[in-house]
Amino acid sequence: MICENCKQRPAKVTVTQVHNGEHFERHYCEVCANSLHPFYVEYKHDPLSLHQLLSNWFNHADQPVHQKQNRPQLVCDECGWSIQRFLDEGKFGCASCYTSFRKQLPNVLKRLHNGNTSHVGKAPGAFGEKLKLKKQIEAVRLQLKEAIEVERFEEAAKLRDEARELESKLAAGGDETHVD
Amino acid sequence: MSIERFLDNSPSSWMAGIGEHSDIVMSTRIRLARNLNGYRFPLAFTEDEAHKIDQSVSATLLDANEDLHKHFSSIQIKDLSELSRQVLVEKHLISPKLANSPMTGSVLLSDDESVSVMVNEEDHIRIQCLFPGLQIQEAYTQADAIDGLLEKELPYAFDEQFGYLTSCPTNTGTGLRASVMMHLPALTMTKQMNRIVTIISRLGMVVRGIYGEGSEALGNVYQVSNQTTLGKPEEDILADLQSITEQIIQKEREARNALLKHSSNTLEDRLYRSLGTLSYARIMTTDEAATCLSDVRLGIDIGLIKDVDVTILNECMVFMQPGFLQQYAGTTLNASERDMFRAKLLRERLQMGVTPKTKGEELT
Ligand SMILES: [Zn+2]
Ligand SMILES: [Zn+2]
Repeated sequence: MICENCKQRPAKVTVTQVHNGEHFERHYCEVCANSLHPFYVEYKHDPLSLHQLLSNWFNHADQPVHQKQNRPQLVCDECGWSIQRFLDEGKFGCASCYTSFRKQLPNVLKRLHNGNTSHVGKAPGAFGEKLKLKKQIEAVRLQLKEAIEVERFEEAAKLRDEARELESKLAAGGDETHVD
Repeated sequence: MSIERFLDNSPSSWMAGIGEHSDIVMSTRIRLARNLNGYRFPLAFTEDEAHKIDQSVSATLLDANEDLHKHFSSIQIKDLSELSRQVLVEKHLISPKLANSPMTGSVLLSDDESVSVMVNEEDHIRIQCLFPGLQIQEAYTQADAIDGLLEKELPYAFDEQFGYLTSCPTNTGTGLRASVMMHLPALTMTKQMNRIVTIISRLGMVVRGIYGEGSEALGNVYQVSNQTTLGKPEEDILADLQSITEQIIQKEREARNALLKHSSNTLEDRLYRSLGTLSYARIMTTDEAATCLSDVRLGIDIGLIKDVDVTILNECMVFMQPGFLQQYAGTTLNASERDMFRAKLLRERLQMGVTPKTKGEELT
């Protein structure tokens, strides 16, 4: 077989593409494959495998088209994408899709992330401050409990005030604390 | 600074061949995917949204030049010729997806090309740091600094349950992809790569060869990266990659020693043949060039070939690609012309890389 692109060298590389749900196989020589799909392309196989994965998971793969259309669909208000479109493309239309499909997402994410469905780790400013405050309050409360147990009431009173102050900051949205 | 600077044959900082374990780990890359609240993702957004995102991200980063101690240049993808885009792709500075996007998008490049921030690729923002050798923590620290800076000015799409919200659910959570590019000729020659790929995939990591097939990689170069982004904090993702990379380095060194011990004559013959081919061939495909460069690199690493500079090989892997060849030639080349031009470029580069120290002369 000859390369589809340059039509000069023998085709050695097969690239599978998915377009509108249809699979296309392209046969390129190594030179053209390298230029059209360079090393740098990361996870270029993901859309395909992800699509299959999602379809299999929701068992939509073998259903006739009309049946799909008759089923009531979850739709994201913000971008207008249905959950079916998300499953077909393997991508979200916008950030609000996460909220619109919140109930269905853990099943999808679980498959992709070794059973995990919740984020742990870095969070941007306001969120990060809130999380930090919550953890601080927990820690102070623990200290407070210990202080009361050993009857160090003076220290306990101080800790109680500290906890209250942190709680009011949290109630205010956690914005007052400066980022360090 | 003009765009030409990024398109010529000057090496990027990651090609320097420095950094820890740089004989085996060619480069380390950190990528953070981020999106802004209030705009749809690039798959669904309008040109108007694309334009506004591009403006605010670019302005924020260009304003931050001083805080970051780095100077950035902003390049509009639409302003570039097709060939220039291809060159930036081959140099790993932008992705093919951004290069081919019909919407407004841009890339912000630091002068040393170690940082590239793509705007309106698959996500609104993709922060990428590319460092030479094994420098996972260093590259992450740099990416994190840029992330922090953008975050102060721009409203990120974030959810307490799902973390950073990304266009693709494979990036949801940390939005972090950490990867190392490794040269593993001995593990490939001794047919151990399939086994390693299988083991690593069970650890939430993924190994890819140049075409993503896993086993036979062009030039024996493999990319190892984290597969999951949810449920593990950034530090753990980085630490896991570090530990797996170190174990692969160890295995590669063992395989090299075994080859030297049991088949040193065959190995020596093969490596010198490749040096000969690179030095004298007149027609060279990408595949053959990559194989020969890999052999010569191995020859340098094991101390067999002493008079070639390893940075030249890093550069050659990039500059032998079709876009660069045509940029360098200053004209369009068909496939067979490219093969000839590639052979010429490699001959020239290799001669530049030969230091005449072997003759026993003192260099000043
Ligand atoms: Zn071709
Ligand atoms: Zn949406």
